[in-house]
Amino acid sequence: MEAFIQPGFWIFVLALAGIYGIFSLGLQIQYGVGGIMNFGHVGMMAVSGYTIAVLVIKYEWNFWWAALLGVVLAALLGALLGLTTLRLSGDYFAIASIAFAEIVRYWILNTDTVTGGTQGSLAIPSPNGFASYTDKPDVILNWISERLYPIIGDEASRDLSMVLVVWPFFFFFIWISSRLQKTSWSRVLRATREDDDVPRSLGKNVFRFRLQTLIIGSVFGGIAGVFWALQFALLAPEDFLRIVTFYGWMILILAGATRVKGLLVAAIFFGFLYGATRFLEFWPLSLLSSPERAYLRVFLIGLVIVILMVKRPQGLFGKRQEMILE
Amino acid sequence: MSDFIQYFFNGLVVGCIFAIAAVGISLLYSVLRLVNFAAGDFLTLGAFITYFLSVTLELNFIFAVIVSMIAGMGISWFLELVLWRNLRRNKAGTLALFLVATGVALMLRPIIQFVFGTETRKFNIDILKTYDFFGARIPQTQCLVLIFASASILTIALFIAKARIGKDMRAYANNPGLASVSGINVDRVVLATWLISGALGSLAGVFQGLVQGQFNNAMGESLLLSFFAAVVLGTIGDAYGALAGGLLLGLITELSQLSIFFGGVPSNYKPVVAFATLVLVLLFKPEGIFGYRARKV
Amino acid sequence: MENTKTLDAAVLDVRNISVSFGGVKPVQDVSFTIKENSFTSVIGPNGAGKTSLFNLLSGMNKVSSGEIIFKGEVIQSIHAHKIAQKGLVRTFQGAKVIRRLTVAENLMMAVQGNPGDNLMGFLNPRARKSFEAKAREEAMRRLDQVGLTKFADEYAGILSGGQRKLLDLSRALMADPKMLLLDEPFAGVNPTLVEKLLTVLAALRKEQEITFLLIEHDLETVMNISDRVIVMADGKIIADGLPNSIYENDVVIDAYLGSRRKDA
Repeated sequence: MEAFIQPGFWIFVLALAGIYGIFSLGLQIQYGVGGIMNFGHVGMMAVSGYTIAVLVIKYEWNFWWAALLGVVLAALLGALLGLTTLRLSGDYFAIASIAFAEIVRYWILNTDTVTGGTQGSLAIPSPNGFASYTDKPDVILNWISERLYPIIGDEASRDLSMVLVVWPFFFFFIWISSRLQKTSWSRVLRATREDDDVPRSLGKNVFRFRLQTLIIGSVFGGIAGVFWALQFALLAPEDFLRIVTFYGWMILILAGATRVKGLLVAAIFFGFLYGATRFLEFWPLSLLSSPERAYLRVFLIGLVIVILMVKRPQGLFGKRQEMILE
Repeated sequence: MSDFIQYFFNGLVVGCIFAIAAVGISLLYSVLRLVNFAAGDFLTLGAFITYFLSVTLELNFIFAVIVSMIAGMGISWFLELVLWRNLRRNKAGTLALFLVATGVALMLRPIIQFVFGTETRKFNIDILKTYDFFGARIPQTQCLVLIFASASILTIALFIAKARIGKDMRAYANNPGLASVSGINVDRVVLATWLISGALGSLAGVFQGLVQGQFNNAMGESLLLSFFAAVVLGTIGDAYGALAGGLLLGLITELSQLSIFFGGVPSNYKPVVAFATLVLVLLFKPEGIFGYRARKV
Repeated sequence: MENTKTLDAAVLDVRNISVSFGGVKPVQDVSFTIKENSFTSVIGPNGAGKTSLFNLLSGMNKVSSGEIIFKGEVIQSIHAHKIAQKGLVRTFQGAKVIRRLTVAENLMMAVQGNPGDNLMGFLNPRARKSFEAKAREEAMRRLDQVGLTKFADEYAGILSGGQRKLLDLSRALMADPKMLLLDEPFAGVNPTLVEKLLTVLAALRKEQEITFLLIEHDLETVMNISDRVIVMADGKIIADGLPNSIYENDVVIDAYLGSRRKDA
């Protein structure tokens, strides 16, 4: 029970909340603004995360440039996905998006020499022998911890530094997303959610608007991937399974599809779910081994999704009129 | 040549399994507009229940398979009563159905793991015995699967074609409004759809477990996209198409390993061939091999 | 090819267009030319192919054969949104308004050349702001013209059928059209409002240089305002000329009344 009151636990929860919050912001833009059902969002995270791991470890790139390229590649994956499949109707696009993400994951899984395959980033061959990519950013994270140590002692962990780095970005992106949804650009997308023909008849290139939405969302997915890679310092293909996209969807429905601020609470709830299933030791959790807890986590997320969709599809904060069940 | 025979045979076996699973998925989509993201887990469930009965409890294998098919039907029907019916009544949209189906899948697998454990399992059937066929090594289990699976497929095809309820299902899938006013018992059609997909899911799971030799609870889930590929390839909305699409996809994924295809696709990339087929069909021939568009959502 | 420098220039030149899909031929071998600033009505019984014709002209469906030339440019294979940008704007049967946007937003969406439509536009908030302000101004002006000002910031979904027609028409006008395709703008509208709409249209003809092509079921309504009437039936043009001559044309009466009787 003590774990519950440990600040370290809650710091971890916040770190995860920030990362997955940014992740679901991407989905929120794609679905909430553009009406696009993307179930392959995890692919963007995988692309940016692995770009960093491979470029820094194997090719000795600078972390910052690798991170930038990672986000760019995530955006490009989004562009590729959109250019090829966005003309499909909603449900077919959703399935195609899963296929895309799975193809990415399979490639990562099977290209051992580059990505380390099943063993993850630790197995990436490195000229200097160390399969670590966080050296440069760790300098910053450590600097923050060191400044905080005199004030708060042992709680000045790397996790706390991560929180202090990620959350300002999270808030910033929430702000950007809010602003985005007040523009004339998003007005066109709101219209397309109801009818494609009207905006088209007024000269709007509906396809291009949607593609832009997909790409912007993919950028957020890529940024989430960078932070994820930073937080956990090592990657493996199982970190990017299909289900991860649904972490984002759960947060999104919980928040209410068009509510941006609700994402904060929903993201923290998710972080708690994740952290609790991973770290809390009280009964009955103590009965479960680590892989079993992973299953419990999955189960709970599935349960939350089902209950939300059946009982309260507008989420905690959405208005009945803006229900996701359209 | 022996390569070709080997892959061709494997393709048929794998194709039969795809076909059986795909039919269930296809029927659910045509009749209920539901994309069953939990389909893979129903396969896993069928395999594990059969394992439990036939290996742990040492009951007769066929009996175990039948019980697992009944369990599949039961759970499917349970979910319909408890979940899907409500959602349909509230006019749930595509996204809601997608998310709930995924939620069910996310809940099902941990339950299987909780009940049956996390270890890899295998059936009590000799997997090592192989036959030699023109230079190709064909395992006995695969022969068995091929025989029983193709018999199943024929049964399914006949059922859909001839059985009263099978015809009703097709009619309803084609035009629900017309079907319900022309006296077709819609409730019975829905029930039949769930029972069939539940039973076939379990059956496909057993076959898959036999073919793989050993299996864990990721078994079904990893095949899900391949099943979707089979459905799309075979023309969405067409049950026979799902059967044909499944067989065809099986052949495609296995034969892609032949060296004439750019040196041959490595065996661990076979799923990627299926995923790529899915995407390519959606892009270039969304009407599938039978070339028509089923009515859309 | 044609001498477009004559006073009555052809703004729309339709040459032998047909479309067929699924065994149906909604439009068969249709040809006509519309002169600049003219007012042409297309009439015909249900299923004659009038809306299909509009779908082809506006690019929402592609022709199977034939050519469409707008302002001297060949457009039959151009995307619908580009055609609208070139000044060929249409309305829809049943007056489609975007219910989740406000009335003003519906109108503002129509203004052409919005820097905010382009992702690059995000870099220039000032340009976007001033554009929005002007768009809003113009939207309010149009709303004034049709008496819908008080609904400006309400969701368009609350408007009545007749009000939606007004909104639909105003929106099309905001899109800076050179030629306006109006699909049954008077359907289901009470006679007083019909009169008002006709007055608005007549005023527009005087003020702005817009060419009108209008679909209408009922010839009587558009007799006075039309320069010319084209009659369609079964996907083909069966008559084309001055309103009076159409009124007395036997072929037209047959096609029309025949189906009228069926309707009644």
